[in-house]
Amino acid sequence: MTPPRKLSLEQWDERWRELHRGGLVEPAYGGPLSRHVAEEGDLRLRHLAFDPSPAALRLWNFLLTENQRLRQFRAGGGRLVGVMKDLGTVPVMAFALPAVRAFYPDGAWWTPCLMECGDGLFQHADRLGIDASFCPVRAMLGAFETGGHFPRPDLLVCSAGAVCDDFSAIAQRLETLGYAIAWWEMPRRRNPDEGEPACTLPGGLQAPQSQVEGVRDELERIGNLLGGLAGCPLTDTLLTEGVRRANQVRRLLQTLRNRVYGSPGAPLPALEMLVAEMLAIHFCSDREETARVLAGLLAETDRRCREHQWVLSPEAVRVFWVNPVADLRAMNLLEDWGGRVCGADFMITHALELIPEDLPPCEALARTALADPMVGSTRDRADRIIAQCRQFAAEAVIVSRIPGASHCAREGEIIRQRVRQELGLPVLEWEVPSLVDPLLPTLGSRLQALLETARLRRRR
Amino acid sequence: MDVFYTSPWVPPEWIAAHGFQPRGVWSSPALDLRAAPLAEGVCAFAAGVLRLVEARPAAGFVLTTHCDQLRRGFDALDDATGNSTFLFNLPATWQTPTARRLYQAELRRLGRFLVRLGGAAPDRSRLQPICQAYEQARCRLRAAAGTCSGRRLTELSAHYHWTGEAKSGSEPEPETGAVPLALVGGPLPPSLWGLLELIEAAGGRLVLDGTEAGERSLLPQVRLHPPGEPENQPTSTGAPRPPDTEDGVEILANAYFDALTAVFQRPNTRLYQWLRARVAARQVRGIILWHYVGCDLWRAEAQSLREALGLPVLLLEADETDGHSLRHAGRIAAFIECLR
Repeated sequence: MTPPRKLSLEQWDERWRELHRGGLVEPAYGGPLSRHVAEEGDLRLRHLAFDPSPAALRLWNFLLTENQRLRQFRAGGGRLVGVMKDLGTVPVMAFALPAVRAFYPDGAWWTPCLMECGDGLFQHADRLGIDASFCPVRAMLGAFETGGHFPRPDLLVCSAGAVCDDFSAIAQRLETLGYAIAWWEMPRRRNPDEGEPACTLPGGLQAPQSQVEGVRDELERIGNLLGGLAGCPLTDTLLTEGVRRANQVRRLLQTLRNRVYGSPGAPLPALEMLVAEMLAIHFCSDREETARVLAGLLAETDRRCREHQWVLSPEAVRVFWVNPVADLRAMNLLEDWGGRVCGADFMITHALELIPEDLPPCEALARTALADPMVGSTRDRADRIIAQCRQFAAEAVIVSRIPGASHCAREGEIIRQRVRQELGLPVLEWEVPSLVDPLLPTLGSRLQALLETARLRRRR
Repeated sequence: MDVFYTSPWVPPEWIAAHGFQPRGVWSSPALDLRAAPLAEGVCAFAAGVLRLVEARPAAGFVLTTHCDQLRRGFDALDDATGNSTFLFNLPATWQTPTARRLYQAELRRLGRFLVRLGGAAPDRSRLQPICQAYEQARCRLRAAAGTCSGRRLTELSAHYHWTGEAKSGSEPEPETGAVPLALVGGPLPPSLWGLLELIEAAGGRLVLDGTEAGERSLLPQVRLHPPGEPENQPTSTGAPRPPDTEDGVEILANAYFDALTAVFQRPNTRLYQWLRARVAARQVRGIILWHYVGCDLWRAEAQSLREALGLPVLLLEADETDGHSLRHAGRIAAFIECLR
């Protein structure tokens, strides 16, 4: 059997026709991928390489139709919550309520990439005083002001405190422009002092019980706002069911990650895995469909694993990837140059952990929120990366820097030192702008140097 | 023993009450603000603080979470500094009981750290006179703010944050026709006061120091009555204060929490209320926004300041000079010329 080969956008259109001739039935949001270029201006798709499976087609179509889904939901009388920064917590609460859906306006940070900056969002942010010295998430400001991407939410919620300064500053600018925000406090997670009451968080870290209680109180406050929006209180019963359903998605993702990252060859490409992981944070505005999309990817992965059908050679260098990339093409480039992703920390690892179901739901969510790798010490994050590198036999680590992101100034060096000390692996910091194309020669040589170093280590 | 703190919203009187000499880190003559030889985006101030921690192993350090760079800088510190460094979680929100409780809990936790550092936990009889001394110093400086020049107040505030004492202000300055300006932004250590000279040389007059450790840092009003006397001061919002506590820490915490006025707060409306009142009262005609490279919190405020205060704003980035850079001089001179 021929191993699956990644397809260009044009090749996908041909493949789509072929699949349809073979009887493929798609969900309502389905269709050829190239229509997103024609209808939405998602020009970047022309420069990406995609997995050839129908499961991947469904994933991409699901991702690229989110704004339409939000508008349809609003038109049907639903209420929309714009959740900012916490990456995975408040959406679980919002989806527990009837006729409420949550989405991350932060996600607009990928719009300039997808539209190859043809959207003008960065220029809009520039005019609002947020220039290129800030993280690409500044595109969110432009998206709010133009209203041409996602609908204006009925409620905006944002965590503050132990969050990135650039995001916090941009959100503050948004509020100054007249978008009211319900802020909630996320303390910097710390280790419990000696003798201090503490509890274990999803993922195994410890936190003082007092911090958990503080976050729980804040989430209860946000829950009241959400209940007010829905016209229906967010009871423990509703929230417990919301947690259970969120965990269904998280279980699927955990299984998918373990299969893909743990297999000798890559049964799915890195780009599709990045998108799949991102579904965890707010279910791409449809929780039930997210589960179906992930189940499809998992079934495809299982089939390929059984048949030893890899999209990349098993000889590819196993790379652990840290941070999401502003340009999706970066994930393709790693594979083009001989690497494969065998594990990732896209800053959302807490959204992949199961939310405890044996605790009161708000307490469980507070513990999960505190497990966020970005609210605690970078050393904790590095330790988790090291454990995952061991689990998935990583041969190198890439810390992709996000241009202008305040956390990137320090974290790369801390992670590098810890990884080198514990595992001796080569580590590369790699700044990925919204469009990598002009930097390809530099980026290519840096990546190749990393991969060659990793290959040399195999011979020792 | 010196205990340095990186934000004026950590009460120095609490450190002093444990038997240490509190030192606002921005006032330190040893603060070295060279750019870090690290990846781009590292704030020179945060890097300077970390260098100072490494250079002063015999001192204690209270870093704060109010900015990402200091928060993550704490993570980068060598294990050897672990026993002498403390990360104080300053809440970003301020309108909820949760944020207040967090601040109170952090102050108590700081107290336990200071005891581990060799200090003595203060009782009310020790805390009260120290709080009173600090309050008197701030009170004198607040009064001076209405009369002396912004430049002089910058010097007085720095001295207060270094020693806990208030030097005398000066006589009101005669009207010279210089353009009244406000300086807002990140901390301005003495090594960068050349910037103030540039402003004066260009025909400007600093009438409002809104930098991190400037006039705003004098806001807390701590009224810790002697043991046995009732605490009946209402909070700034008019709500009754919590009941008396054994050691007064709650009163101290509430005084600072209620006064906290900073750019990192969410929402940061308190900062704008504070600025608006003073800009109007002192007839400010232009604002110089001073920030370190990589400081998103201040940099993002440039346009909001323009819109909210209706004044021109000059954005000045800290560089590796002592504030006397020709580039700064040219920009400041042009700015003031436009305002004449």
